Amino acid sequence: MTDLTPRTRPDGEQPAPRTRRKWLPMVLIAAVLVAGGVMVTQFLRSAIDYYCNVDEIGERSGCDTDRRLRIQGVVDQGSVESAGGDTSFTVSFNEATVPIYYDGEPGGIFKECIPVVVHGTFDEAGTTFLGDRVEVKHSDEYVSVNDERLDEADDLAVDCAA
Amino acid sequence: MTTTTPAPATTPTRTRGTGTTATRLLGIATVVMLGWLVAFGLGFSPADRDQDEAVRIMYVHVPTVWVAYVALGVTALCSALYLFTKKHSLGFDRFAGASAEIAVVFMALTLVSGMLWGKITWGVYWAWDARLTSFALLFISTIGYLAVRSLGGSHQQRAKRSAIVGLLVVLEIPLVHWSVRLWNSLHQEPSVLDTDGDVSIEGLMLFSLFVGVIAFTLLYVWLLLHRTRSMAMADLLDDVGLDQALADRRAEGASS
Repeated sequence: MTDLTPRTRPDGEQPAPRTRRKWLPMVLIAAVLVAGGVMVTQFLRSAIDYYCNVDEIGERSGCDTDRRLRIQGVVDQGSVESAGGDTSFTVSFNEATVPIYYDGEPGGIFKECIPVVVHGTFDEAGTTFLGDRVEVKHSDEYVSVNDERLDEADDLAVDCAA
Repeated sequence: MTTTTPAPATTPTRTRGTGTTATRLLGIATVVMLGWLVAFGLGFSPADRDQDEAVRIMYVHVPTVWVAYVALGVTALCSALYLFTKKHSLGFDRFAGASAEIAVVFMALTLVSGMLWGKITWGVYWAWDARLTSFALLFISTIGYLAVRSLGGSHQQRAKRSAIVGLLVVLEIPLVHWSVRLWNSLHQEPSVLDTDGDVSIEGLMLFSLFVGVIAFTLLYVWLLLHRTRSMAMADLLDDVGLDQALADRRAEGASS
C-alpha cells in the first residue's frame, strides 16, 4: 500500500495545514438563518396588531379601541372623499360601520365596494380610525370585464356592503 | 452546454453534451407552449373586472409557484430515495440538487411577480402576511439547502447531508399552502386547488392559466434533465481529478 500521508516540501519544511475552508456556503447559511429570524420577527410583530372585522371592534377580546389594530371591512358606496391629499371613507362589515381617515391616497385598486384592511389607531374620542396603511383585499374570484358589462344592471341593484 | 471529459493523453479528447433527441424535442415543445402562453396570457384572455390588465401577472405567478412546489417535491422524493435505498445512488442526489436549484429560480420569479401584482392590486409591494412570510421562509430555506450542498466533502457526504436538509425543507410547503386558512391573510385563498372543488376563475382565464402551468412544467423538466446531466459531468470531473492525483502519488511512492 502506497503511503499517502502529506509529503514534505522540497525545502524540507512541513506544508502548512490545509486552511482552505468553504467559507462562502457558511456565510450563506448564516445569512439564511439571520434572514429567517428577521422574517419570523417581522411576522410576529405584524401579528401583534389584532386583525378585527369592523363588527368585532370593542366586542372581541383584543379588538379594543385603545390599541393599534388592523381593521377589515368593505368601503361603503359614496363614502370616499379626498381633500388635500387625505382620504376619508367608511368601512362596514356585518352592519357595523367605522369612519376612516387616511393621511394619503390609497393605492392599488382601491374603490368603493371593495374589501380593505386598514392599519392604524383610533383617535382620542375612539370614533374615527386614523389609518397609516391601507391594503386592498382581492377575492379569489376572477371575472372578465366583458361579463361585468352584461351584469351591470344586476350589480347596480346589489348593495355592496351587504 | 458541453464539457470536455479529461481522458488519458493517448486517446483523443471526447466532447459530451447534455442534450439528446428527447430533450431537444422537449425543448421545442416548451418553446411552442411558451409561445401559446404569450398569445393567451397577453392576447386572447380578457382583462379582469377589478384588477384590469394586472390579472395577466397571474399567468406567470401561479405556474411558477406550481413548478416550485413540484421541484421541491422532486427534491424531497429523490432525497428519500437516496437515503432509504440500499445503493445510495448519487443519481438521486443530483436530481434532488438540480431540482432545488430550479425551485429557487422559480420561487424568485413567484416573489417578483407577486410583489408587482401586490403593488398594483393591494397598493403595497409587501406585507408581513402569513402567506408571504411563509413563502419567503421556504425560499431562503431552499437557498440554505443549496448552501449545505456546497459545503464540500465527498460526493456521498454531500448527498447524505443535503438529503436530510431537503426532507426538512419540503415540510414547509403544507404550511405555505394552508397559511391563508390558518391565519387572517391579505393573500386570497386558492382559486383552483381548493378543497371544496370550486373553480372561481372564468373560462378563458382558466385556460390561459392552464397553458402557463403546462409551459412552465415542460420548462422545468427540460432544465432538470440538462442540469442533472451537467452535475453528473462535474462529479465525474472531480472523480477523474482525484483518481489522477492518487495515481500520481502512487507512482511517486513506487519510484522512491
